[in-house]
Amino acid sequence: MQLDMDLQRGDKHFVLLLHIFINIHVVWGLFLGGADQYQRKVSLELNPGLNSTSSAPFNVSILHVKAVGNNDTLHFILASLGPPSLLLVHTGSSDTQLKIDWNRLMTENSSHSVWVEPVSSVLYSRALLFTKVWEYNDVNDTADFPSAPSKYMFPPYNLEDFVWDDLNKSVDKTAHTAKLCGKNVTDQDFVNGSICFKISAFDALGRDEEWPCFLHDANSSQIQFEIDSVLPRSNKSRFGLELVSIEENGVRSWIDTKHSIDDEYTPSIFQVYSLLSVKGNGSGPVLGYTHWKPVAYRNRTPVFEQATPSRHTGPQSKLFSNHWGLPIAFYGKDIEPKYTIMSVNITFGIAGEPYYNETYYLSWTSLVGIGSPPEDSFSTLVICIIAVGLGAPMAILLMGCIIVQLKRRKPVTPPGYQPIN
Amino acid sequence: MALKEENKRLLAEDDESEPSLSNSHSRYDSDSERQMSACCDPSHLLHRIIVLIFMCFLGFGSYFCYDNPAALQTQILQDMHATTSSFMQLYALYSWPNVVLCFLGGFLLDRVFGIRLGTVIFSLFVCIGQVIFASGALFNSYWLMELGRFVFGIGGESLAVAQNTYAVSWFKGKELNLVFGLQLSMARLGSTVNMNIMGWVYSRIELTLGHSGYTALGITLMIGSATCVFSLICALVLGYLDKRAEKILNKEQGKTGEVIKLTDVKDFSLSLWLIFIVCVGYYVAIFPFIGLGQVFFIEKFNFSPAQARAINSIVYIISAPASPVLGFMVDKIGKNVIWVLCAVVTTLAAHVMLAFTFWNPWIAMSLLGISYSLLACALWPMVAFVVPEHQLGTAYGFMQSIQNLGLAVISIAAGSILDNRGYLFLEVFFTSCVCLALIAVVMLYFVDLLRGGELNLSAKQRLKRQKISEAEDEKRQRLLQQRAEELARLRPMSAFGLRNRYLSRLGAQLPDHYCTHLSALAHRSVLK
Repeated sequence: MQLDMDLQRGDKHFVLLLHIFINIHVVWGLFLGGADQYQRKVSLELNPGLNSTSSAPFNVSILHVKAVGNNDTLHFILASLGPPSLLLVHTGSSDTQLKIDWNRLMTENSSHSVWVEPVSSVLYSRALLFTKVWEYNDVNDTADFPSAPSKYMFPPYNLEDFVWDDLNKSVDKTAHTAKLCGKNVTDQDFVNGSICFKISAFDALGRDEEWPCFLHDANSSQIQFEIDSVLPRSNKSRFGLELVSIEENGVRSWIDTKHSIDDEYTPSIFQVYSLLSVKGNGSGPVLGYTHWKPVAYRNRTPVFEQATPSRHTGPQSKLFSNHWGLPIAFYGKDIEPKYTIMSVNITFGIAGEPYYNETYYLSWTSLVGIGSPPEDSFSTLVICIIAVGLGAPMAILLMGCIIVQLKRRKPVTPPGYQPIN
Repeated sequence: MALKEENKRLLAEDDESEPSLSNSHSRYDSDSERQMSACCDPSHLLHRIIVLIFMCFLGFGSYFCYDNPAALQTQILQDMHATTSSFMQLYALYSWPNVVLCFLGGFLLDRVFGIRLGTVIFSLFVCIGQVIFASGALFNSYWLMELGRFVFGIGGESLAVAQNTYAVSWFKGKELNLVFGLQLSMARLGSTVNMNIMGWVYSRIELTLGHSGYTALGITLMIGSATCVFSLICALVLGYLDKRAEKILNKEQGKTGEVIKLTDVKDFSLSLWLIFIVCVGYYVAIFPFIGLGQVFFIEKFNFSPAQARAINSIVYIISAPASPVLGFMVDKIGKNVIWVLCAVVTTLAAHVMLAFTFWNPWIAMSLLGISYSLLACALWPMVAFVVPEHQLGTAYGFMQSIQNLGLAVISIAAGSILDNRGYLFLEVFFTSCVCLALIAVVMLYFVDLLRGGELNLSAKQRLKRQKISEAEDEKRQRLLQQRAEELARLRPMSAFGLRNRYLSRLGAQLPDHYCTHLSALAHRSVLK
């Protein structure tokens, strides 16, 4: 009986300790991250609204990533409708549905065949298109894409002309990833090669394990662009990628450059670029971003010596094209007056860097999301090392001072005995 | 082939020297005064100046080629497809043989080869090492390059000892300080020229070949090895001139006088061990950093390669004029521990600046240059304060051995940290190494304070104590002559103080090992 009581008392103590521990943890968590602890429930759905028996028509596949939060929902839609496109829709309710009218989507009149219900809940939307892959012959090894003579420019690969694989093959619903690969079927250079876009969705704050190790949160997803084993058209070929961003009018976008002293997660890269979309004249809140570091990797598992710098030009305004299936399906055919279209070119490699034909591989990663991009901070290890490194000498200095003072003040005991009286 | 023959000739001469000495001596004696002009007379200043020129260029090749990897970092990484860790192996492999050779160099020169043959042998090692290094690049095999650096390392550090021994044997009692100064400047000139010129040479060769790649790198390094061949020729000429002077002037072959007893280690005091820690913690945050510096400045601060090479050599450039000035200052003021503390704190600040700010790196690098010179002036002489004279050789040898061990290990670590964690972490790592040195200095200060403040005396106090102890020594010497060697302690003030002291005492015909510290000071870390 006594033993039982003791056990119970012990249990109580344990529970109390646990409570304290959890409380500390929560407080610590709030202190560290605050709102960044935000979580969403992420689910992936392929070709929503299409009968599972019938495969996607005309080699088109649409991946719907739904990230449900407490009182809002993020829809990421990756589609091989026209050029590979990513549509980002932010709604102000946790109960919204993506609807696709497949019959209309496949016809000429596909305007508004993709929509989110209820329509009124849409807070913000933007589309990101990967339209062209540039290739140029860098004969003089200057890696200066904007001023490369036109005779050295190869005709760009128009990604809307590519044939894209069925996403069903690559979708991973537990890891929240999918990879869209395509090739130019009429081109001999693509016999063994392909161009791929890999999407990763996230439900909470975290960091990618592979370089560039972007810090991501529940409001973002990551797109990795990859040129794999495509044969170059010259021995000194370098490549580039054209990004197109479609925003509502009244949203200003520009490229924000941040210098960071912290290259722990992406060694030797000290800049971060973000294509920011800001409400109003640039003074309003940041609505969304496309975020990248100026680095591409020349092999499948990124390592330091295979990193190659990337550069960008733009943004410049861009004319609308009738081939952009997904934007037309969502925004309608009459995009131009109501929306702003911008393009940014990312080019890979700088003067003196090896050409593409050294590894036949290139990968470049960007993070797309709503709100402001998550900000990196020093890792705990760095903070600890600095704290110990600077703290220990201080502590020893203090201890030394005390010891020396004590030694000096050592009371001199009077010789002989004290008088008795 | 020609080299070999000349070598053989030298060897043969060495063997014959004993029996023929008296003959040739008398012959020269009778002719010398009538026939020899000033530049051929070994006792004349003009002749010694000619010897000095050869002496200065003796070390030029090794100093020029030591930092070849740093000067060609981008090219080596690209053309040899090397990772940063394998690049840093090139530096580590230079240090490995010297972990042992620090103890052996003096012994080999004195007892085994003699100064002339020893110098030629070490020059040959340097030369062959550099040629192997270059052919490694030519044949696109990285392991051959690594082997080359190892062989280069065997010769490099010991050659510096030989160079100093030559200087003492030709200039003792005369212009020795100036000669040391000139050799020092030459060493720095070698490093600086290398840093700033090799990239340019590479680009010229790339232009002539029409393409970059390992061939261009190999040819560039082969051109670099010309400096080593030049140094080897200097070694042969010096050997000849020294031999000739021996015959004419009937003087002895120079000796380092280094005595190393490894069992002395057990007698080393806590202060000495702390000095060792300062030495290792400090230097590992300097040399590997300079090795990796070029690409760091290009990538973090967007410097052009030429600018990056210039800023990377600023530490050496600054230390050239700063060393004598700071040496004089430390000499006059004393308080060595405080100066070491200042140097370490300044270096810490410089590394923190480089790690955590985008401030113009010229500030941080200049600070690094000054503090580096200050540390060399204040730290190395401290060893002589805490070690009895007869153990100095062992203490300096041990210090350099540990330093080389640290350099080898940290070089590899730095390379792999950069490969995996980037520059911020690398700088934090170097910062923590300097912090270790700082902890050791602070502890050294208190240990010294509690034990009566031997190290941190001002120059005046030191002089006073020295006088007292000298007077006491004299008394004791009279009383206990057999224990005199144990009790007598030389208390020199700095590298230059040490040398001066040595010179002033030479007249008194002290035992050989009283100049042990001289050869120890010839090592790269002190000279640079």
